[in-house]
Amino acid sequence: MNKYLGNKPALALFLLPALLLYSVILIYPVLQTVLRSFYDWDGLSTASFSGLANYRELFSDPLLATSLKNGLLFAVVLAVFQIGLGTILALVCANPKIRGRKLLKTAYFIPVVLSVTVVCQLWIAMYDPTNGLVNKLFELLHIPYRQNWLTSPTQSIIAIAFVNAWQFMGYQFSLLYAGVKAVPEDYFEAATIDGCGKWRAHLHVTLPLMRETFKFCFTIAITSGIGAFVQMLIMTNGGPGTTNYTLTFMIYRYAFMESNYGYACAVSVLLVMISLAATLVINKVFDRGQNV
Amino acid sequence: MKAQHKRLSALMITLSMTLLLSACGGGNAATNDSAEPAAAPEGGAVKLKVYAQHFDEDTKGPFDYAVEELKKEMPEVEIELDSAVQDGNQKLKTYAATGNMPDIYFTDWATLQTFAKSKNVEILDDYAATTEYKASLNPGVESRLIAPDGHVYAYPDTGIEFQLIYYNKTIFDKAGIATPIKTIDELAAAAVKLKEAGYVPMSIFAKEKWISAAFYNGLVTREEAAGFGALDQQGLTELPQAFVTAAQQIEQLQQAGLFDANATNTNYDQASSQFYQGKSAMFVNGQWEIYSSAEKLGDQVDWMYWPAKDEATYEASKYYIDGAGSPQGYAVSPASSNKETAVKVAAFLAAKSAEYKYTQLGSPIISPKTDKPIASDVPVMMQRVADELLPSAKEYAKLLSNTQIQNAINDNTQNLLVDGFKAQNFVDNLNRTLGKENK
Repeated sequence: MNKYLGNKPALALFLLPALLLYSVILIYPVLQTVLRSFYDWDGLSTASFSGLANYRELFSDPLLATSLKNGLLFAVVLAVFQIGLGTILALVCANPKIRGRKLLKTAYFIPVVLSVTVVCQLWIAMYDPTNGLVNKLFELLHIPYRQNWLTSPTQSIIAIAFVNAWQFMGYQFSLLYAGVKAVPEDYFEAATIDGCGKWRAHLHVTLPLMRETFKFCFTIAITSGIGAFVQMLIMTNGGPGTTNYTLTFMIYRYAFMESNYGYACAVSVLLVMISLAATLVINKVFDRGQNV
Repeated sequence: MKAQHKRLSALMITLSMTLLLSACGGGNAATNDSAEPAAAPEGGAVKLKVYAQHFDEDTKGPFDYAVEELKKEMPEVEIELDSAVQDGNQKLKTYAATGNMPDIYFTDWATLQTFAKSKNVEILDDYAATTEYKASLNPGVESRLIAPDGHVYAYPDTGIEFQLIYYNKTIFDKAGIATPIKTIDELAAAAVKLKEAGYVPMSIFAKEKWISAAFYNGLVTREEAAGFGALDQQGLTELPQAFVTAAQQIEQLQQAGLFDANATNTNYDQASSQFYQGKSAMFVNGQWEIYSSAEKLGDQVDWMYWPAKDEATYEASKYYIDGAGSPQGYAVSPASSNKETAVKVAAFLAAKSAEYKYTQLGSPIISPKTDKPIASDVPVMMQRVADELLPSAKEYAKLLSNTQIQNAINDNTQNLLVDGFKAQNFVDNLNRTLGKENK
C-alpha cells in the first residue's frame, strides 16, 4: 500500500480528474461570479467593466438591509428550533427505556422526504387567516390571537422560517441522534454513578462530547438560513412588497426579473462571503477550548 | 506496463479536457453573428422554428389557425412549433445566451429591450412587411408596434389590452348596491355592505404584483390619463398628486375591507374561483377574462368603469383606459438562416392570429385591421367593449419604461393591500426611487 501511496506521479494522475471536475463545477463558476460582479452585464450583451460600482450600489440598496435581517432571523429560527428541539428529541430517543423510539425516529424524519412544494402548500393552507388550522386552533383554545401569518410584515418571515425548520428538523435530528449514540455509554454511566442526574449528565458529558456534531449542525442551519429562498418564493413570492426578501431572493430578482446579472453576481459574492464568515465563526466558537 | 500507464494517462487527460471544454463552451448571440447564414433551400421546404404560446384554447386556436393559413399562402414554409412556457421568458433568454434562438419567437417589451442590446432581435424597420403592417394597423395601437426608441422589433397580434373591474350583478342586487359605482366612497361603502352580507367584496390575485399595480393604475388614470407613463420624465423626483390620491384611495378601500385579508397570497386560480363560485362580488383582471367570466357566470357578470374621487371626475375620465401599449409580438432572430422569409412569416402569423381573435373570439382588441366578419357569438361584455368603450376611448395609459420605478410601484402597491402599510409609506418609498432614477 505504501508503495502505491509513495508514487507521486500516479497519485497526481488519479487526483487530476477529480481536481479538474471540482474546479469546473465549483471553483470556475465561483471565480466567474466574482469576475462578473465587477461588470455591468445583462446576461446577454457584451459586459462592460464597472469596477466597484455594483458593490457601491449594493451597499446603498434598501433591499440589502431587509434581506440581511431576514436571513439572520431565518438562521436563528432554524438554529433554535432544529438544533434545540432536535437535541432534546435525540436525547429522548437515545434512552433505551423510552417506548416507541423507532416510531418516533421515523415520524421526525417523514417531513424531510416530502417535497418542499408540498410542505409549503400544506402550511399555506394552515396559515390561512380565515380558514387556516393555526388560527382555528387559537380560536378553539379561546385565545384571541388570530393573525394574518403570511402577510404580516413582522411575523411572516418567522412563520416561513418555521416551515423550513419543521421540515428539516428530522435531518438535523438524525445527525444529532448519531452524535448522541457516538458518545461512549460508560462516560455517561460514570457521571450518573458520581451522582449526576440524567439531564445533568447529558449537560456535562453528552453535549460537550457532541461538539463536532453541533459544529456541523450549526453550520448547516446558519448557512441554510442565510441562503433561504424556496419557501419565500412558494409561500409569499417575497411579499408583501419586499418584506420577505433574502439575499438569494435579491439574486433571483436582479438576475431573472431585471436582467441585471452583474449586480446579481455582486449580491452572490456577498452571500458567499457571509456564509464563509459564518462558517469560520462557528468553527472558531466550537474549537475554542477544545484542547483544554 | 509502461504502455498501459501511457494509455491511462491519455484517457485521463482526454476526460479532463472534455470536461473543461464542455464547461467553457456555449456562447451567446455574438458567436452567431459571425456565422454565415445558410441559404434557403432552393425548391425545397423552408423550415422555421417558432417559439410561441400554445398551451390552452386561447393560445392554441389563433396559432393553429395562422399556421393553417400560412400553408395556403406560403406552402414552401414548414413551421416547427416550440411551445413557450410561462417562465418570464427565461427559456427564451437561455436560447439567446447559448446561441440557439428560434427563427421566430413571441415575446414582450422587457425581453425585446434586452435582446435589442444583445443583438438577438432583428430590427424590422426597413422590411416591406413592416410597411404593410403599419398600413394595416387599427388606429390608436401604434405603440404596440413602434417601440419608444422608434424601432419595430416585433409584429403584435393584439391591440392595447386593458384592465377591468368585473362584478356579479346578482350579488350586488342581493346586497342592495346600486350600479354603476362611480366614486371611491361608493366603492368603499359597497365593500362594507358586501362584507356584512358574507361576501369577499373583491377578489384580487395579488400574489402577482402586476395586478395590484394595474388596480392602482386604474385609479391613477382617473386624474392622470397617462397613468404610470407620467412617471417616466427626467427631473420628476416626487410623486404627482394624482398618484398620491390613488394611493390614499387604495388605503381607504383596504380599510373598508374591499380586499380579502389574504389578498397578497392569493393566486389567479384561487381568486377567479372565488369569483366564479359566487363567494366574491368583484374581480379584477384584463379584458381577456371576459370569455371565462361570461362562460362561468353568464348574464350575472358585467364590468364597470374605474371609480374616481367624485362623479364629475368619473364622467370626465371614464374613457381613459387603464392599459399601456407596450411593443410585443412575433420577433425574428437575426441569426435565422432564412431571415427574409422569417420576417414575412412573423408578420403573417401575427396578422392571422389577430384575424382569428377577431373573427372566432369576437375580440375587437387586435392590432391589424381585418375585413372578415365575426363568425361567432360574442359575449355581451365584449360587445360592450366594442360598441361603447373602444370608440369612446379618449386616451390610453402610457408605457413606463423604467424597470426600477415599475418594480417599486409593483412592490409598494402590493404592500398597500396589507394592514398597517400607509399611503404615506407608499409615497415615501416611491419618492426615494424617483429621486434616484429621474434625477
